[in-house]
Amino acid sequence: MSEETVPLARSPIATDPTVVVAGWEVCARVSTAPLTLSDETPLAKVLVRAPFGGAARDALGVSFGRTARVGLGTAGEVLLVGSAPGEWLALGAPGTAAAIRAALEERLAGTGEFVSVLDLTHGRALVRLHGAAAPVVLAGVCGIDLADHVTPDGTALRTSVAAVVTDLVRDDDGGVRSYLLHCERSSGQYLVDALRDAGSPSGLEVTGFRGLVPSSA
Amino acid sequence: MSILPTSRRARSATGAGGAGGPAPMRLAPREGEVIDRKRSVEFRWNGTPYTGHPGDTIVSALAAAGERVFSRSYKYHRPRGVLTASYLDPGAMVQVGDEPNVRAAHRLVAAGMDVRSQNTWPSLRYDVKAVNGLVERFLATGFYYKTFIKPEPLWPLYEKVLRTFVHAGEIPPDSAPGCYDQRYAHPDVVVAGGGPAGMAAAVAAARAGATVMLVEEEHQLGGHLRFGGPAERARLRELAAAVAAQPGIEVLTDAVVEARYDDNWIPIVARSLPGIDERLIKARAGTLVVAPGLVERPYVFAGNDLPGVMLSTAARRLINLYAVRPGHRAVVLTANPEGDAAVADLESAGVEVAAVVDARRGETVTAAHGRHGVRAVELGDGRRVEADLLVTAVGWTAPTSLLNQSGDQPVYDPRAARFRPDPARMPDDVLAAGGIAGDGDLDQLVAHADAVGREAARRAGAAGGAGAGSAVAVPSLAVDEHPELFSAGTGGFVDLSEDVSAKDITTAVAEGYDSVELAKRYTTATMGPTQGKLETVNTVAILAAATGRSIAETGTTTWRPMYAPITLGALAGRPHQPVRYSPMQPWHERHGAVPLVAGQWIRPEHYGDPAAEVTAVRTGVGIIDVTPIGKLDLQGPDVAKLLELLYVNKWQKLGIGRVRYGVMCAEDGVVLDDGVTGRLGEQHYLMSTTSSGAATVWEWVENWLQTAHPDWRVHVTPVTTAYASINIAGPRSRDLLARLTTDVDLSAEAFGYMNVRTGTVAGIADCVLWRIGFTGELSYEIHVPASYGLHVWQRLLDAGADLGVRPFGVEAQRVLRLEKGHAIVGQDTDGLTQAFSAGVDELIKLDKPDFLGKPELVWQHQRGTHPRLVGLQPLDGSIVPPEASQILDRAGGIAGRVTSSRMSPTLGRAIGLAQLDPELAVVGTHVTVRLPDGSDVTAEVTERVHVDPQGERQRV
Repeated sequence: MSEETVPLARSPIATDPTVVVAGWEVCARVSTAPLTLSDETPLAKVLVRAPFGGAARDALGVSFGRTARVGLGTAGEVLLVGSAPGEWLALGAPGTAAAIRAALEERLAGTGEFVSVLDLTHGRALVRLHGAAAPVVLAGVCGIDLADHVTPDGTALRTSVAAVVTDLVRDDDGGVRSYLLHCERSSGQYLVDALRDAGSPSGLEVTGFRGLVPSSA
Repeated sequence: MSILPTSRRARSATGAGGAGGPAPMRLAPREGEVIDRKRSVEFRWNGTPYTGHPGDTIVSALAAAGERVFSRSYKYHRPRGVLTASYLDPGAMVQVGDEPNVRAAHRLVAAGMDVRSQNTWPSLRYDVKAVNGLVERFLATGFYYKTFIKPEPLWPLYEKVLRTFVHAGEIPPDSAPGCYDQRYAHPDVVVAGGGPAGMAAAVAAARAGATVMLVEEEHQLGGHLRFGGPAERARLRELAAAVAAQPGIEVLTDAVVEARYDDNWIPIVARSLPGIDERLIKARAGTLVVAPGLVERPYVFAGNDLPGVMLSTAARRLINLYAVRPGHRAVVLTANPEGDAAVADLESAGVEVAAVVDARRGETVTAAHGRHGVRAVELGDGRRVEADLLVTAVGWTAPTSLLNQSGDQPVYDPRAARFRPDPARMPDDVLAAGGIAGDGDLDQLVAHADAVGREAARRAGAAGGAGAGSAVAVPSLAVDEHPELFSAGTGGFVDLSEDVSAKDITTAVAEGYDSVELAKRYTTATMGPTQGKLETVNTVAILAAATGRSIAETGTTTWRPMYAPITLGALAGRPHQPVRYSPMQPWHERHGAVPLVAGQWIRPEHYGDPAAEVTAVRTGVGIIDVTPIGKLDLQGPDVAKLLELLYVNKWQKLGIGRVRYGVMCAEDGVVLDDGVTGRLGEQHYLMSTTSSGAATVWEWVENWLQTAHPDWRVHVTPVTTAYASINIAGPRSRDLLARLTTDVDLSAEAFGYMNVRTGTVAGIADCVLWRIGFTGELSYEIHVPASYGLHVWQRLLDAGADLGVRPFGVEAQRVLRLEKGHAIVGQDTDGLTQAFSAGVDELIKLDKPDFLGKPELVWQHQRGTHPRLVGLQPLDGSIVPPEASQILDRAGGIAGRVTSSRMSPTLGRAIGLAQLDPELAVVGTHVTVRLPDGSDVTAEVTERVHVDPQGERQRV
């Protein structure tokens, strides 16, 4: 018999030991290692579909392949990612998906363009690989050139990471290399396993949920 | 020519130096040696213990102990010793532990190594297969094709015998898997070759701001400087310090640039890495600098393969790097300063140089004599000199492989007696440096390489974009004259790896194989592990002489990737085989589910008793995790038009809250996928697909939207794993779901069959509830926001405990659907099954204006000759014909096949589905099913639905 009476949201990534944050069961580990991997799946994830270039893009303020931190009023600050042609992903604090969706729909309503907004919080896995050696880890599983002049901070792209279709977002934290990796939820555990395997020689450690890096960081 | 009397012969090294014993050929410490004399390592050679020092190669350690023979040759099993003392050495392929074909002149000796000779029996010294040499005249080139072609029925016997002669090591079946790794790199410049030119080019490129990958085949940088004199070693220290001072240079030793593909896509294999056997680096370089140096070329003469015949560079490596005396009394055939330097090194090592034969003065060697090694050398003037060592220095080969792969066509230069690259045919992103580009003294070569390095950085855009700034003026290199020395005309081996003799080449020409490409394939010259680096030019020269053409006219064979043999492990690398898990997977694992790999998904096949699981569903209630079912979120005003295009049936009138089953076909009318689609809102639909077809359907839909109908306003988003999907099936399913659902009226009147609702289940909002069924029972499929999937799954089991709820797996589902007669796309259909053969005739609306596959289906319908999907029941209900069993017509021909079959727990008998020719596809017809064991059973054609044909159980 299950003792669970209050619904807990669970990430697809093993989290032992656990702690509950904003209704999500997340990893309780705290690592001070220079290279860490954290499960950021609890972040709200809202998908926007709209014409590649036009009023909606202007309203969002982010082009394909780039990111920006955008304030959405009561929904708070989100990291808006131009993840594919005509596709944006808004990442926000856990539990804010509905507010983000409403704010985005309001912002885009006046564009007159065909737009759809969809909450994908539960449909995607999201992890953050953080540390100066992050490019070394990714070089073992991803063919993208991660040099500063090719993929600077704020770059977003979709590629294969360990044979999994993944949105790779460079989102440096305090001047330290940091990447968000976003894939289908069901592949999340595999992706994490592959990253841990590739990162083992570099001293990669798992740490707990970090949350979205605020723009002031 | 000077010949010394034999009385000055040095002390002979007799016997092998076993562990702890003296190493009779080890020299006193020498400046520049790479061995660590403070430490020793013990290893075994053919079962006997030996001792070496860290830094020794297997061959140098054995040679220091007095060993001269390390292998037997490929065809004739002739004894072979050191030839090059490098990675290329054809006489030093050995087995190390469970690793075959190890290059013993390159692999460093390590403590505990178990080294063995390959394919020798009963021993390396007395190898019975050396009898091949006695029948050499019958084993001439092409014998394989001539001898074993007839009688054809004997080929299996031939093959069995021939396999015992295969010259290679063994991989024991219980070998531990190696650890292979891959990584990507994007350096501005890759420098292939870590000799003085490569080092200088790398330093110059790095100083210009480039990131550089410097790749060297040997274990240290330096090339020939490593085994040179004091001046060379001083220059090496200087260059090494310069390399070390550049953080932008990544040095890879014991690594090989394997190939150059378009846009400088460069695979590099690196070894000697901690914890990894090999790593394949996939580099995309801005510029490739090819600086492999020159490879010393053997000379072809009678007895040139005897142990004791070696190149001048081999002798110098043994002496100066490993402090090993290569012999006691030597003859040196020299045509260049490097040969002269070898003479000096030999003398410094205490080797008695009995004769120096200077080819520049027209002197030559015609033969080496001996059985297990050189005992005498025959000179061009007829004299015979007793010696155990013959050192040759007759010229160089430019290993232009990487340049050839870049589009270059090297040209033979008779002045230099070697092929040289044609700079005019090299692409802008490839440059050559060092000996491959030309000759000169060390200063000139380094200056040239320095300029090449700077230009490489410029072309890579390392400083302000590709091509920025003025082109660097690269000084030209002179070409030194060198006598053309390839063969003495007395026989001997051209290709020591493949046992191809000079006579084999001339025989090939006589038999009509007179082009270099044909002669190569007929004789296998240049096709061995050295891949032509030692033997190509000699092969071409002998071929040219035999055909009367010049070497330039004859040309070279094509040098293709790989530059050096590569292991399958390196190519495979670290396996990346994604697997996908449902949110309920942890529960399945805890409760003994037997895993089923379905595509990338790991699913529960059953929980121990699939038949009981079927019965539970038929009599009570069961739940199954169906998360892998494909799901596409469709939004926009034109979704209905899209559905009309995709499916064979009609969709315009699908109301909100309603669900319809659809089959989609490709343009050829072949069934592509099927599933249900529900309308959640005015412009919002949710489409389901088969589990395996989810990605295909998404691509299919996007393809039609983006290419044929970009004007349609539809957004398609895959949401397969956004929802955890649970099917609740059985007569008590409504009761169970009602206990956890508060905001959806589940009554039959309010929520009928083929309807969809959104609501809250077990406290989780935004669930999608479908009243559909694949099992033939009253059932609901709920799609739960995936993060709460496990919560809802557990709550269903808790809430339904008194109802007898139990989980069921994929196997039970397959039985249930078969009892109900539901087809599975891909199992009951195949790549040729058009829709009218899939049992969905009533669904296909040919009166629609258009849909994908319609023209083909119109024709299929008009022809009427297509197979039908029918039900099948063996008359003997205890026999379950295996799936894919053939169904025979009355004449014994194939009339169909069983597509699905199971023992039905509900009916207590075997049931099935089958594709069947139309004349037999009549209910009540008896057909013959041939089982895999060849026996036949009779089965009766039935309706497809075996259980509840009226559908009364699912429409309650």
